[in-house]
Amino acid sequence: MRRLVILLILFAVMRGVFVLGGPTSGIPTLMLFGFLILAAYSVGELVKPFGIPKIVGYLIAGILFGPPGLAYVSKPALTELTPVSNLAIALIAFLAGAELQLSEIRERGAAILKMVSSELVLTFVAIAGTMVLLRSQLPILANAPAAEVVAFSLLFASVAVVHSPAVTMALLTETRANGPVARYTLGVVLVMDVAVVLLFSLVLAVARSLAPPAGGAEGVQAGAVLWEIGGSVLVGAVLGACIALYLRFISRELFIFGLLMALLGSEVARILHVETLLTLLVAGFVAENGGGGRGEDLRHAMERAAAPVFVVFFALAGAKIDPKAVVPLLPIVVPVVLVRMAGIWGGMQLGGKWAGLPTNVTGNAWMGLVSQAGVAIGLATVVADVYPSRGAPLRALLMATIAVNETIGPILFRLGLKRAGELTPANVDAGPSVAAAPTAGAH
Amino acid sequence: MPVTPVPLSFIVDSLCERLRTLMTTPLLLILVAAVAFLATHVVYEWLAKRLLIVSGAEYLVLGVLLGPQVTGLFTPAAIEAFQPIIILGIGWMGVAVAMPLRLQRLVRIPAVPYRTALVESLLTFGVVTAGATSAIAYAYQVPWREVLAAGGILGAIAVASTPAGLDVAFGERGKDSARGAPVLLQIEVANHLNAVVSVVAFGIILAVMHDTVPLMVRSLTTTEWVVVTLGIGVVGGTVFHLFLGGEQSADRLVISLGGAIILASGAAAYLELSPTLALFAMGVVLVNSLRHPGAVQEVLRSGERPLYYALLLLAGASWRPDANIAWWLVIMHYVVLRTLTKLWGTGIVTWVNGAQRAVGLDWGRALIGQGRLTIALAFDYSRRGLPYGDVIFTCAAVSVLFTEFFAARFVRAAAAPLLAPLEQISATTGAVLDTVTETMTHALPGFLQPTDSESQERPADVPPETNPAPPGDR
Repeated sequence: MRRLVILLILFAVMRGVFVLGGPTSGIPTLMLFGFLILAAYSVGELVKPFGIPKIVGYLIAGILFGPPGLAYVSKPALTELTPVSNLAIALIAFLAGAELQLSEIRERGAAILKMVSSELVLTFVAIAGTMVLLRSQLPILANAPAAEVVAFSLLFASVAVVHSPAVTMALLTETRANGPVARYTLGVVLVMDVAVVLLFSLVLAVARSLAPPAGGAEGVQAGAVLWEIGGSVLVGAVLGACIALYLRFISRELFIFGLLMALLGSEVARILHVETLLTLLVAGFVAENGGGGRGEDLRHAMERAAAPVFVVFFALAGAKIDPKAVVPLLPIVVPVVLVRMAGIWGGMQLGGKWAGLPTNVTGNAWMGLVSQAGVAIGLATVVADVYPSRGAPLRALLMATIAVNETIGPILFRLGLKRAGELTPANVDAGPSVAAAPTAGAH
Repeated sequence: MPVTPVPLSFIVDSLCERLRTLMTTPLLLILVAAVAFLATHVVYEWLAKRLLIVSGAEYLVLGVLLGPQVTGLFTPAAIEAFQPIIILGIGWMGVAVAMPLRLQRLVRIPAVPYRTALVESLLTFGVVTAGATSAIAYAYQVPWREVLAAGGILGAIAVASTPAGLDVAFGERGKDSARGAPVLLQIEVANHLNAVVSVVAFGIILAVMHDTVPLMVRSLTTTEWVVVTLGIGVVGGTVFHLFLGGEQSADRLVISLGGAIILASGAAAYLELSPTLALFAMGVVLVNSLRHPGAVQEVLRSGERPLYYALLLLAGASWRPDANIAWWLVIMHYVVLRTLTKLWGTGIVTWVNGAQRAVGLDWGRALIGQGRLTIALAFDYSRRGLPYGDVIFTCAAVSVLFTEFFAARFVRAAAAPLLAPLEQISATTGAVLDTVTETMTHALPGFLQPTDSESQERPADVPPETNPAPPGDR
């Protein structure tokens, strides 16, 4: 009831302010930011009693208050709020990296690599095959030559295999789950993030040779890909080492320091043309393992700083979903989503058996891999940039697929954690605290 | 072979050009925040402890150096991109002003310091408004009616005095016993009331100058705009309470407080009202409705100084000087008039209230220092492009530059003559007590031994030999 009252008050405030604002008033970026923090968080808490993760509530809030709904957050406002999303991605990556400890990598690294490789191959082939089979349903592929069909199917599959570190981290933080399913899911998601950058670059190069872009855009240079990966590791390691030194010798005001470092990392990565997620991931890993035992303090401080940013990040992601655009594409999206889920499930079963993991892990961890969000959207945009005319419908299809996965993914992940017994009442009752995220190394 | 020397200006220009290409807007923002952060925790504390200097104003100069007037690292577009941070910083100062205004504490203070401080604030406001209006009208050769609002803004800004001087000179309230002395209490009350009068006057004048025509309703009157400003703050405070509910976790507090402050600041700025007044109203609601406002105050305090430094840097960067002699006439007039009013005004008001025996007639020196609130209000005015914005901002900046550094020394100078006798009394009382204790101990052994309960409360680090048991107990 209290949540509804908050939403009603916020609704009234926004209405009142927009009415009182003059015709010359610009975009109220700051006000929208504050509004989204409070409104999306309230919606997240409203859906919680129904067993739905709060992230889904934030997404619903985004759809509700975004351009497709009440349009409080207009399209220009979405652009203005892009730095918030960038900060969220940086924080997510840093926190994800800080979750990894050397001892854990030694213990689980081999098993995670086996699961990633089998899941990647199976899902990629299954989705590409589905696209070839469904080509008659897609206007851009219906009458296209075989080479073009193969090129776009491969491109589509290389984006569709992507997972969401953001959703994984946010849900693990929300539920405080820290069992084997939670740890293996996080490991697979993080490793897959690196693998996907390589795969996408490779597929894009192949696609360009099979179906050259209209403007004859230049091909993918091996050096650029190498720099994107190697440079990320290098920059991330340097940043992480600096943070570790700060933790060892100063270690004060970690809340503000953490925010600054995340911002700095994302901006440096952008300027140096390296992968933001990977840079911050490495930085988090180095800081956590080289911080002389103070890494945990920084992680907790950053989780607190990240709480409002995560809320707005998912609300903005929701605001970008256009249900009207998704519905007409459902006949193609539904089979793709189902095939993707089957591929993930099969890959995890195969990889799990290969690594000798118990069925409790392989039978539930796949549910945490369905979500898609920021990285996939970014890659879909790259496809549309490379193929301005033919890539646009492909991007629309990808966005519709991502929207569906983004919505059902967190629900499935929560279900998987519950089935694995990692969602204990103690965790759930602990409520929304972000400060007590899963601690690295605790099994 | 002759070597042509490379001019220094060429090297500096090349360096600046190279930096300009590297410095993207977000990177600048990060660096600004990093400088502010380091300054807060390294320079400020060190300077305050060692040299009794209130640090901060130098960031205004740094901002000018980084801005378009000197190196151009901060371009006008970059400063424009920082508007949300600027508005948040301005609003934050409003909540900070309200935080000490907890009624439970305020009612314990006698009425005389309030009366004295209020009259002093209003006197400063009136005198500086009148003086600034005349000065601007004379300097720019315009009718005084046209510049009354600008004069009023300068009057409102002139009222504010920095509380940092008192904190640096005598420690923060509750941490130093000297803060209970009447003169320090008077200075503290005056600082708070000055801030309240300054924020309220500024907010009202902005409402008077408001000319936005709403989309769907008639134009609002000044009173209605003031009510809207206060309403934004009250709604912000209410939403915060509803949001926080009964849960007091640190994360929830950050989300609810951050959300409410950002929402209220953004709403006030969007409506072209004063974020400081709106957030001040919100702060008053928060501090008086929370059972334990300590956690909220802690969160606010942690953000206040970094935001202030960021605000100073950006304010310095957006400064636009004018070579017009009239400009500097107004500025000099403001600084001199304000200083004299603070010095003599307090003396007159104290004498009229008959409080000179307790606080003396010179405590006005402690109010000369200006700081964060002055910059926040002046920057809020100048960023709107309202008339005489640049000259008003420069008045405030010059005042802060000349007075904030020495604010602690001003306070010491004002309070020391009155505190010295108290310290003497304290030392005499201590000596008398020591003598009495010693005599009693010799005359009646065991008379001053601690009771059982006192013995149990003895700190663990005090060795038992210091309180030997009486011989009969051995």
